[in-house]
Amino acid sequence: MPAQIWYPILIVTATLSLPVLALALLGSKAARFEAMVRRQSTVIAWFSTTVGVTVAWIVVAIVLVQFTVVVMRYVFGVNFIALQETVLYGHALIFMLASAHTLVQGGHVRVDIVYANLGPRGKAWVDLLGTVFFLIPLMLLILNTSWDYVAISWRNLETSRESSGLQWVYLLKSVILIFAAMMLLQGIGLAGRASLVLARLDDAEEAS
Amino acid sequence: MIVEHLDLLMFAAVCFVLLSGYQVAFALAGTAIAFALIGYYFDIFYLSDLLFLPQRIFGTMSNETLIAVPLFVFMGVMLEKSKVAEDLLETMGALFGSLRGGLGISVIIVGALLAASTGIVGATVVTMGLLSLPTMLKRNYKPEIAAGTIVASGTLGQIIPPSIVLILLGDVLSSEYQNVQFQVSNYSPLSVGDLFAGALIPGLMLVGLYIAYLIGVAIFQPDAMPAIPAEERDTDMKTLIARIFRVLIPPVVLIIAVLGSIITGVATATEAAAVGAVGATLLAGFRLRRHRRESVPSALLTGAIPIAGAGFAMAGLFWLAANFDLRITRDEIGSADQQAINIALLLCGIIAWGTLAALWRVWRAKVLTETARQTTQITAMVFLILIGAAVFSLVFRGLGGDETVANMLHAMPGGVTGALVAVMVTMFLLGFFLDFIEITFVVVPIVAPILLIMGVDPIWLGVMMAINLQTSFLTPPFGFALFYLRGVAPPELTTGAIYRGAIPFVMLQLLGLTLVATLPWLATHLPYALR
Repeated sequence: MPAQIWYPILIVTATLSLPVLALALLGSKAARFEAMVRRQSTVIAWFSTTVGVTVAWIVVAIVLVQFTVVVMRYVFGVNFIALQETVLYGHALIFMLASAHTLVQGGHVRVDIVYANLGPRGKAWVDLLGTVFFLIPLMLLILNTSWDYVAISWRNLETSRESSGLQWVYLLKSVILIFAAMMLLQGIGLAGRASLVLARLDDAEEAS
Repeated sequence: MIVEHLDLLMFAAVCFVLLSGYQVAFALAGTAIAFALIGYYFDIFYLSDLLFLPQRIFGTMSNETLIAVPLFVFMGVMLEKSKVAEDLLETMGALFGSLRGGLGISVIIVGALLAASTGIVGATVVTMGLLSLPTMLKRNYKPEIAAGTIVASGTLGQIIPPSIVLILLGDVLSSEYQNVQFQVSNYSPLSVGDLFAGALIPGLMLVGLYIAYLIGVAIFQPDAMPAIPAEERDTDMKTLIARIFRVLIPPVVLIIAVLGSIITGVATATEAAAVGAVGATLLAGFRLRRHRRESVPSALLTGAIPIAGAGFAMAGLFWLAANFDLRITRDEIGSADQQAINIALLLCGIIAWGTLAALWRVWRAKVLTETARQTTQITAMVFLILIGAAVFSLVFRGLGGDETVANMLHAMPGGVTGALVAVMVTMFLLGFFLDFIEITFVVVPIVAPILLIMGVDPIWLGVMMAINLQTSFLTPPFGFALFYLRGVAPPELTTGAIYRGAIPFVMLQLLGLTLVATLPWLATHLPYALR
């Protein structure tokens, strides 16, 4: 990834994360960040939820389109590659764009043996540390490694291997970057929620 | 030197990190990134290996086999949310309830048919527990028997096709098998359908063992599972038969049609799943119709008639397609074929109408939104683990982990059998805290190539892994199907009772596993015969 894009990403990530960390580590001494962190988390969660709830309808669409493809192929012997690829695109969009919403909902699997028995503060610590050390680095890694991958695709305006397929492979590949950016933001939002619990400014009910 | 064992250390570290309870997908990837940096510092890992990551992610996005996942999840969630599954269990209970142990047998059959929707053991056991535990306890079933039946059938559904985990396992095994195709003799591509066919007989065998056990208990301990007393079986024969035709037969036909077309190789898993998803929507629309009396015009427009009509039209369409040449892009079309094509087009119109009517009903009952959202979440969950596991395996291989594992397996006494036993025992232990999906994405790609090169049959291997993991989920005190049942069980049902109830089923599982291990044709005969 070129430096002129990489550094701004790092700076934005750091700027959004610092008040969260300050709140978590300093507690009431950093109370002036509270409103900021709360607003930040709310806006991010709203964004992820809006996108996630919208792409959920793609599920219904791919069911219907895939069914149509099956009927055309098995009954009338007509192959519509573009239609089949539409399902493929829809399928990719579902999980790439709804992952952040799934994060808000706590829908990603955890190993529950210890976590389920932790108190609200214990859970908040796991969420904060996990986000800072696992989720955010992963998304930065994906952004960094995927940039050139996507850029090459754009340079060639990469098309489908099938001549009658959908010709927007470069757009589909760009979704990787959108995915990573959304997850990065939502990770900061999640850490914000956890830090509000840790600073004892939020009751656990609201955060969990 | 400790640095040489960085790969194994990473595996140990990830187990430890996962126990903290952070989301599995990110814990896997995050730990791997940390070890990549450590490896880079000691000059034994090239950071450029990580440049394969975008390709792996895009590979997941453009994998056609995996489109079956959201479609099957949609089908399962739709059947559950619209209470078609609940009706099915009730009707089965009414049908077999007059027998001692009949209710328990119904739970096993329904579990085997329907429990596979999500591929998450926890969710399945919770659903089955909420659905059937209260009924069984109310009917004075011995708590041990009730609990054991539920955890066993809830986990068994996971490995009976059509199930999500078999699709994932089939996809992983198939790509690993393809990678080593030049190192094995008699290579032929492996499909998800092959694994479905392979799992069918062992799965049904386990169902049979479970039922035989319940019948045995019913004979020797009549008080443990009493029949529903006659005065409470209020339904007379006529309504019961009507109910069987209305709620029992349609979903069973749907599942058999979907499964049959995959196993016989007529359709791919994705294509059959789409038919299953539309069929489930029709069933749901038909079921939800019965909330209130309908006026005649509304019944004609969006009610039972077009929905049921669509179901019959679907069957008619398949019959036509099997008996006439309906390809419309030919130059010469005979008059009989032309008429058949016209009828087929008409049937398509009826299907479209009925499907839209069903969607409208399901949407109005607030089931569609919920189903779409839950399907989305489960899909996102599955694919995120896939991405996290991709990072993990990139780093693990970069650190030389696959060679380490290969050496360890080759050093096992007893050759192939020894290696296989070692893998099975490891997976069994990992099954105590990792779910099916994680093990499929993390462990299978590491061990499968080695075993496949040693000459192990991929279908047999997949089926053995599936039964093995299912047993692990059931085994006290760690098996986590038990924890999930504990979570939804009333306090009167003690943890000890759940454990005692699970043990006989664990024994049956071990018996089944031994049978498949010693008689591989149980798994391999059907898929190879169908090829």
